[in-house]
Amino acid sequence: MSEMWINMGPQHPMTHGLWNLRVKIDGEMILDVDPEMGYLHRGIEKISEDRHYNEVITLMDRCCYVAGFSWEHLYILGAEEALHVEPPERAEYLRVLCDEFQRIGSHLMWYAAFVQDIGLMSPFLYGMRDRDLVLDLFQSYTGARMTYEYMRVGGVRNDVPPGFTDSARKVLDWLTARFPEYDQLCLGSTIFRERCDELGILKAADCVKHGVTGPMLRSAGVKRDLRKDRPYSAYDRLEFDVAVADAADVTARYLVRMEEMRQSVRILRQVLDWLDRHPGPVLADHLPRWLGAPYAPIGNEGYLLKRNYPKGVGFSAIEEPHGEALAYVVNDGGEHPYRVKFRSPVFANISAARQYLVGYHVADIPPIMGSVDVCVGEVDR
Amino acid sequence: MQPDDITRALGPKLGDGLLSVEPFEGTAGRVRFRPESALALFEAVRDDLRFAHCATVGGIDWVDHREVFYVLWSDEAGQYLFLSADVPADAPHIESAASVWPSANWHEREAWELVGITFDHHPDLRHLLMPDGYVFHPLLRSFKLHEPESLEVKSRHV
Repeated sequence: MSEMWINMGPQHPMTHGLWNLRVKIDGEMILDVDPEMGYLHRGIEKISEDRHYNEVITLMDRCCYVAGFSWEHLYILGAEEALHVEPPERAEYLRVLCDEFQRIGSHLMWYAAFVQDIGLMSPFLYGMRDRDLVLDLFQSYTGARMTYEYMRVGGVRNDVPPGFTDSARKVLDWLTARFPEYDQLCLGSTIFRERCDELGILKAADCVKHGVTGPMLRSAGVKRDLRKDRPYSAYDRLEFDVAVADAADVTARYLVRMEEMRQSVRILRQVLDWLDRHPGPVLADHLPRWLGAPYAPIGNEGYLLKRNYPKGVGFSAIEEPHGEALAYVVNDGGEHPYRVKFRSPVFANISAARQYLVGYHVADIPPIMGSVDVCVGEVDR
Repeated sequence: MQPDDITRALGPKLGDGLLSVEPFEGTAGRVRFRPESALALFEAVRDDLRFAHCATVGGIDWVDHREVFYVLWSDEAGQYLFLSADVPADAPHIESAASVWPSANWHEREAWELVGITFDHHPDLRHLLMPDGYVFHPLLRSFKLHEPESLEVKSRHV
């Protein structure tokens, strides 16, 4: 059989977004792969240089369209450090609330899409149904289901409405009761186990060498989670365990994500209890007007005035649902960030594709790439 | 790990290739170095300081010069470390870190096409996010957002 290159993408059910996986095959064997990105490149880093600090938040929601809150949080932490702003404590807990519900939402989206790739239809419907409950919660306090624009430099836009914590607890109870069902549908299925066990193996040493982070790294037994190793916001005051597995294959990544959702529920129960007991402001009150207005009126005085604000650089790192995300914000004293640089975990995870795809069969690509959890919005930015 | 520890560990190996180690909030510090001693520094940072994970590589256009920065993570120290080097704007190039940290490969491709920094001896320096044949570097300050650009885009596989 002769060797040839084939394109899987940009339109292919496996891609979950717009990108192209070029695969060199000999018969059914994968000899080499070359991922091609850039179909969704919008130049978010460049556009940010032309925007006021709070306006960049709009772009962050579009960075990763299934984990908008995580990216808002990432940017906000960097911007606050660069602008020397401290948020109130309640805002930090509200951000953790957003982050962890977003992690559940993102993992449920992954669960739905990944399991459908393998050919199981029912889990797709269950995953999407339960993710909708999380989106309903988001809608109740941000007004949006996908692009929230909720966090602000110095806090968050508004507090949660009365009765929110009770409805959130109901969703958590519902989800907790569903997790065993998810496991039964997948781990109890012979088809799932035969397709996923010992597939797409990437050992810990290779993960570190090729920059792979997040659930992929933890499925190889490395206990690295920035929420524990470099706590941000309120994570140092919350109790949870880092989910790890050791098989480093597709099933192990499934197990890690499922356990992460259970741990997120655990974190969220603590956060909701804290929110009930500690009312307070959600936006810092010492902010300059151009930064502080919750519904920032753009173009008012202050925005165009030449301001004399201290320079600074901000660096933030958070554990996004997909892995380690970094932001580097340079403030040169002007109205806009001088430079914003983001590190996307999926970008690095895809760049290592050769390491976990070569040697398997063409039919193994959908489950392996599914277990990577690709979100093209944050790869291309 | 403190900036002083880093100076003690790297100083003897690098000599005047090491310019300074500054404190940087939330990280182990920021190492400023001469681009000529890049490879020696990378190896020393990986092997002696044990920063095994290269999280990202990026560039900043300061108009009169360009800055290349590397963000590294060490599981042992539980800290990030910044490395940065200034390269001249008329000939912006530095040795590739891909031989030391393979994960730098794509990040350097991105920094090359967006900020215009050439990484010498890079295994695979071609366009990643922009189309082949794209001659601009969008993250340079001279690239204006509100002005039209025109170019002929080549297909990648013809």
